[in-house]
Amino acid sequence: MIWLTWRQIRVQTLTVLATLTVLAGCLVLLGYQIRHAYNTDIVGCQPDICERAKEKFLDAYDGPLGMAGALLIGAPALVGIFWGAPLITRELEEKTHRLVWNQSVTRTRWLATKLGCVALVTLAVTGALSLLLTWSASRYDQVLGERFEALNFAARNVVPLGYAVFALVFGIVAGLLVRRTLPAMALTLAVVAAAQILVSTELRAHLMPPVTTTVALDAAVVEAADGFSVSETDGLIEGYEIPGTWSMAAQSQLFNADGRPYTFAQAKPCMMLGPAGKECMAKLNLHFGYRHQPAGRYWPFQWIELSVFLGLAVLLAGFGFWRIRRQPS
Amino acid sequence: MTLVVQTTGLGKRYGRKKALTDCTLRVPAGRVVGLVGPNGAGKSTLLGLACGLIRPSAGSIEVLGNRPAASAAQLARVGFVAQDAPVYPGLSVADHLRLGARLNPRWDQRLADGRIRQLGLDPGQKAGRLSGGQRAQLALTLAAAKRAELLILDEPVAALDPLARRAFLRDLLDFVAELDVSVVLSSHLLGDLERVCDHLVVLSGSRVQLAGDIDDLLAVHHRLTGTREDLDDLPAGVEIILAEHTGGRSSLIVHCAAPVRIPAVELAPIDLEDLVLAYMTRAATASVSGFSAEPAEARR
Repeated sequence: MIWLTWRQIRVQTLTVLATLTVLAGCLVLLGYQIRHAYNTDIVGCQPDICERAKEKFLDAYDGPLGMAGALLIGAPALVGIFWGAPLITRELEEKTHRLVWNQSVTRTRWLATKLGCVALVTLAVTGALSLLLTWSASRYDQVLGERFEALNFAARNVVPLGYAVFALVFGIVAGLLVRRTLPAMALTLAVVAAAQILVSTELRAHLMPPVTTTVALDAAVVEAADGFSVSETDGLIEGYEIPGTWSMAAQSQLFNADGRPYTFAQAKPCMMLGPAGKECMAKLNLHFGYRHQPAGRYWPFQWIELSVFLGLAVLLAGFGFWRIRRQPS
Repeated sequence: MTLVVQTTGLGKRYGRKKALTDCTLRVPAGRVVGLVGPNGAGKSTLLGLACGLIRPSAGSIEVLGNRPAASAAQLARVGFVAQDAPVYPGLSVADHLRLGARLNPRWDQRLADGRIRQLGLDPGQKAGRLSGGQRAQLALTLAAAKRAELLILDEPVAALDPLARRAFLRDLLDFVAELDVSVVLSSHLLGDLERVCDHLVVLSGSRVQLAGDIDDLLAVHHRLTGTREDLDDLPAGVEIILAEHTGGRSSLIVHCAAPVRIPAVELAPIDLEDLVLAYMTRAATASVSGFSAEPAEARR
């Protein structure tokens, strides 16, 4: 059965492996370039030009890493569409299932072997790509400090594996139910894309309840914030983020040490000072609550997301095995 | 007597459409069984049920004493060639034999190689480029070399030209004798089956109309010819399958277990074709007039 499965997928597998080899070469090259640039331009840079150097560094590698990331995010959908969906529908459309299901192999074993083989190849390919990209982009990610950013999170470390296996199994089961290749492909694309978008925009932030820590507004914090907006009743700090954490609020309300809200009346004297206003503000002993997912949750989040999608894949596969025994010819 | 196929009240429906209704059959071992009936009669459904590709919606079916496709062992005992003999277009003839060898524990490589050589098939050729006849032969080779106890062939010659048809059937007979295997094959043309079968099942309108060993069937069916009046009053035990009237004379095809003597009525044996046509006509008339194909209805 393994021989037959291999015989049926070997062309695609070899094509994918060839593509992977080329990509791997590119990623390794890119990784060394990034490391070289990091060592020469960022390490030990003079404080006055450091920010500029970092910006230049990030700008330079934003494009290629973004493209590689997009590829890795698109990979699950491709796997589901071109490997998952046709795996059974092609047999059904060419009626070869009537040939192979009447050899001395139960449908369960037939499906198990096919699914197992293709899943292994999928895991190997996605794993290799993710590993390479994670390594290649590590210095860039370190400088950027936004590991939770939607595209970065979904294109690094173990999360891509979950999506790929989920998409593959979904494609197979969709093919089993829909029985025709094109509709099964379309359904797979829609569901995989929807799952990825839904998770990154809505669900991921709620995997664990966010933490609120109190941050004192000192000069460094004032400098790091995007800006402030102050009204008669309250004052807000905007766009502040502790590097490595995932901020859950675009703005947070400022309070005085005694708990009274910071207001326009209080802000006025500092605002009169013009450029020196920031220094003035930092001395007011203000604080605010910073609601976020701490940096230490990066790996728990990776594992949770991986487990959720592997779990879904297992459930879908279970359904597929139940279904194929009842599948009419 | 061992049975290769035994069904009880077997039925299959797709949505509201009945593909097979209340089918009760007992097919003995060691026969070449012809399953004949018009297109859409339910032949493929019955064969699909027998090899386990389809699950029944009513009743039960046992093949070689087990539920079809219940296990790998059961699958190994039944060889099946589906309609149009599907093969993998991208795999070569040799690949198909390798597939058979790897997926079947009782695979007979010598038989497979021998047949491919005898048929003159090029082992390196992609199956997608074979002619219809060659494809059917390849599929039959796969099923035969599996060394099953029962071979089920769904319309194996439908797509073949008359010459290939004859060759295929002659071939089939050859290795049936050699392998000691029971065979069930279907066709909508009796002519295809007549030469090779010794047992017949007539399916029409999703129901079994007639089943039995051909010799037995011919022994209990007769043609009666006489005037209408002479044939009006038939003795008990004589069942009219089909009545045709031309002018004052009538010709009846009847079923009666023991020979009957009716004054002034000529009794003659009938051939298989007339017999099958009589049952199919009866079924068709019954379904057109809105009745089920019960003998009582058809007698009017």
